[in-house]
Amino acid sequence: MLRFIKQLENRSRLVSLTMACVIVAVIGLVDYLTGHEISFSVFYLLGVALAVWFVGKWCGALVSMLSVVVWLIGDFASGARFSSPVIPVWNAVVLLTFYLVVVWLLARLRSFHNNLEAQVLQRTAALTDQIAERERLERELLEISEREQRRIGQDLHDSLCQHLTGATLAGQVLEEKLAALHLPLAADAGRMVGLVEEGIDLSRKLAKSLFPVEMEADGLMLALEEYAGTASELFKVNCRFECDSPVLFHDPATAGHLYRIAQEAVGNAIKHGKAKNILIRLDASEESTMLSIHDDGAGLPDELPKNRGMGLRIMAHRSAMIGGRFQARRDAARGTRVTCELPALVPTEKSPL
Amino acid sequence: MNKPKVKIYLVDDHPLVREWLTNLIHQQPDLLVCGESEDAPHALQEIPATKPDVAIVDISLKHGSGIELIKNLKAMFPGVAVIVLSMHDERLYAERALRAGARGYIMKRETAKKVITAIRQVLAGKIYMSESLAAVFAEKFVDGRLPAGGSLVEQLSDRELETFQLLGRGYETRQVAEMMSVSMKTVQAHCAHIKEKLRLTNAAELLREAVRWQENHPSS
Repeated sequence: MLRFIKQLENRSRLVSLTMACVIVAVIGLVDYLTGHEISFSVFYLLGVALAVWFVGKWCGALVSMLSVVVWLIGDFASGARFSSPVIPVWNAVVLLTFYLVVVWLLARLRSFHNNLEAQVLQRTAALTDQIAERERLERELLEISEREQRRIGQDLHDSLCQHLTGATLAGQVLEEKLAALHLPLAADAGRMVGLVEEGIDLSRKLAKSLFPVEMEADGLMLALEEYAGTASELFKVNCRFECDSPVLFHDPATAGHLYRIAQEAVGNAIKHGKAKNILIRLDASEESTMLSIHDDGAGLPDELPKNRGMGLRIMAHRSAMIGGRFQARRDAARGTRVTCELPALVPTEKSPL
Repeated sequence: MNKPKVKIYLVDDHPLVREWLTNLIHQQPDLLVCGESEDAPHALQEIPATKPDVAIVDISLKHGSGIELIKNLKAMFPGVAVIVLSMHDERLYAERALRAGARGYIMKRETAKKVITAIRQVLAGKIYMSESLAAVFAEKFVDGRLPAGGSLVEQLSDRELETFQLLGRGYETRQVAEMMSVSMKTVQAHCAHIKEKLRLTNAAELLREAVRWQENHPSS
């Protein structure tokens, strides 16, 4: 029914008007054939309503008048006689007023309906804009944090570590000078050098966690390999990285996101899945490049607790940002399988390392 | 003290490191810092005039890569023994640096305690590296993963060698497949065979090996 009305709305006004007139004419004919004693006046409303709804209230008024005229002619033609000429006029005016009231009501209803539709459209558009804006912001936020992390990491590595190296050298000079003077303080200076060296180690580790993937195209392979080793050592699991043929990334941001996805997936596998064996793979085919993390843990629960969805969402988000297709699902046999598939870029030119 | 002092040249982009490295070296009666610079072009300009016996080079420099500088030094001044000083992990960079011609590799965190030892060892004609790195190399050697010369590459089939060369020239797997008019699967199979034959553990190593081989055989 609704679909039928929608179809009618899409037709031109002329078609609707013609339909209304045809209905009025048909009802007038039936009215004439059934005789003047049976009143058909209410059925003309069908044509009137059609005209109001699909064309407009003035057209509705016009069809109302047409209906009254047709009704009168029908009655006279089928032999109606009145004691006074005022009576048919009175009847016609009453009927016309009734029709016009209906026309007015329908026109109002129609305009409310239209307003509501317009409002819904407007709100939907506003909401769509807002969603797009929020997505843009989220992306921006992730990018900023990534960029800042990288900057801090690089600063730590390039400035602070170098500075501390200078400090260890200065300490060493001091130690040797004190030793030359046969002062027992030399040992203290030596210990100080050791402490600063530990400081270098700490800031290097920090820098590594902030900025794990080196800028070179083969950086991701190296970083994932190193990460698999570190994770195995740190969490006492068997985490391996496999990559059959070299997979290069010329965009450090893409490599960075993939690294974080792998990191998050491995972290989840250990923390929530209690996995013992984890395999990180980088595969390239003609159509795509795929990062996959497969573990033998408990697998994703059917319904995640509220505080756990965030990691998955961020992984999906990172994947979306680099144009990838993200999937995290319970493996048929056991454990979880997280994948991020990137469409292969057609290499345009030689890409020297 | 009639013996002339051993001359050392420093290349590091951090002034504080240069300053205190100089001070530390000058603590030794027989060692002398004959010059320093913060980048590769400047170093290559000065080295002929200062005639150092040893050059201490940081891999990451502001202008130009340290690895390139090592290669240039080895080619232009074979008498200068290069020691690499780097913030970078030795497991990733030491092999590259040593293969480029360096005689020693020191992680910056250990510099203060080790640099003098390294200088002396290199002057004695030996290679200096940390004990843990030496252990890694020894293990690789025992496993047969450190090929003696290019002999292992000779075992590759023609198609495998072609794959190996293209990878070494910086083409990606997908491009290699296209250039050889074969599928990715085939290239991956080639890669697997190359890894097996060259006793490489992973794709990153395969790539590094291919690039290194290409650098040493540019005409092929």
